Amino acid sequence: MRIIDAHTHPVSGGKGTSRTEVEALVSHGRSLGVEHMLSLGDVLRHGRFPTEAQITAINSDSAKVQQFCPGYFSTLCFLNPTLGERAVNRELERCLTQHRFVGIKLEICNNASDACMKPVMAAARRWNLPVLQHTWSMTHIRQRSFHTDPIDTATLARRNPDVTIIMAHLTGCETRGVLEIKDLPNVYIDTSGGPPVDGLVEYAVEQLGVERVLHGSDLPGRAVAVSIERIRGARLTAAEKHLILFANAARLLRLPS
Amino acid sequence: MLIDTHAFLGPWPFYPHPPRSGRGLAAQLAAHAVRRAYVSPLGAAFLPEPMPANRELFAAVRRVSVLIPVPVINPALAAWRHHLDACQAAAPISAVRLMPNYHNYSLRRRDLGEFMAEISRRGLHLAVSVRLEDERNRYFGLAVKGVPVGDLAAFLNHHPHHHVLCNGLYKGEIERLAQTCDNFSADLTFAEFLDTIRALRATLPARRIMLGTGTPLLSIAAQIAKLRFARIPAAELAAIGAGNAVKFFERQRKRV
Repeated sequence: MRIIDAHTHPVSGGKGTSRTEVEALVSHGRSLGVEHMLSLGDVLRHGRFPTEAQITAINSDSAKVQQFCPGYFSTLCFLNPTLGERAVNRELERCLTQHRFVGIKLEICNNASDACMKPVMAAARRWNLPVLQHTWSMTHIRQRSFHTDPIDTATLARRNPDVTIIMAHLTGCETRGVLEIKDLPNVYIDTSGGPPVDGLVEYAVEQLGVERVLHGSDLPGRAVAVSIERIRGARLTAAEKHLILFANAARLLRLPS
Repeated sequence: MLIDTHAFLGPWPFYPHPPRSGRGLAAQLAAHAVRRAYVSPLGAAFLPEPMPANRELFAAVRRVSVLIPVPVINPALAAWRHHLDACQAAAPISAVRLMPNYHNYSLRRRDLGEFMAEISRRGLHLAVSVRLEDERNRYFGLAVKGVPVGDLAAFLNHHPHHHVLCNGLYKGEIERLAQTCDNFSADLTFAEFLDTIRALRATLPARRIMLGTGTPLLSIAAQIAKLRFARIPAAELAAIGAGNAVKFFERQRKRV
């Protein structure tokens, strides 16, 4: 079975930038059948509010990882929307033109429904890029001023119906999060993050349709083997598992299938 | 062969899992090469008095030899000795389980010494469910958090002659607990990292790690993957997958 991991952090906590480390990660992925990874960067390396220089350094590390194993990684450009339109566009253009990044990654610099998202989404529209938004239920984590709840990702998607958005972390978004995006066809959800809650993948498929669910692990904090077997062991057909594990992400990332 | 040290039967109010019989659980586990499971009643978490859930558990596993009951005891209740009596009368048990966070008591309680002495006298071993779910994603009306590592450490240090199975610790919690205590084993239910077992092995010897799935709340297939794809020597894999559980639970049984 072909597999893409659509949520990875090859560099994490400052580790993972050497050729040896990257090759070990690729070898680990390949041993589990993962033929491609979507790389999201060391997004919390400098805390929740990185400066422009720190953002550049994080993206440069991601570019280095990509160069070590050509073709194995697609990379998203990590941005801090609160730095403003000029900084956002400068970094995005650099990453797209110099490193051929394929989308935008947003973490916890701000809430996804904040006004500072406007230029980011305009850029995504202009360059036709998917936006992966970190999302987690804020029911118990009371950080909504800067941390995005599924309601906020849904708001972002409603305001930008022509931009493809990946709402990260199925387990963190829970059933409520799945329902928030049910009527928003421009939103995908990835299965990364949190323990492998039984039945939740099946629930997402039932509510959203199988085409909107992407396999992701959130490595290295999570185990790729676990995220894969969570899908393989789900009460779904082989064709549905193929879509989640591979075909949906291949289509989204415009990879040869 | 694999042995699951953290499996459950019974209802969970916040997710619509279909009802599962003892035979159903055994069949689900067998499909993933799990040939034996130490099973506790999930419903006990939300009962102020866990015995009704224990009785349902004993009935469910009575004719399913691969499921070994591990009843839940609430030592904060005055009748815990009667509950131990009733459990031992109902089935041959080798261990009991505590759910301190769900039953609203701290492992720092002084009177737990009596409980520990009593289970030791009876030849029973102790398993503690540190958590049953990721507390970031628990039901919105619940405020139940995991058992604090500090409480576990104090408890373990206060009872140095007991070796306790701590189910449901996060990887980081295992690392912190291991700094001050060596009289515990940990399971895999909530411990996860890129290569989970290798990462844990940096902290704990393989003989103190056991398989635990947390089924039905967590996916058996996904949990088993932590072992199936682990890159450690086969002997260590066998120990983590089954041997350590046999030693832990069976050693106690012989002492009865």
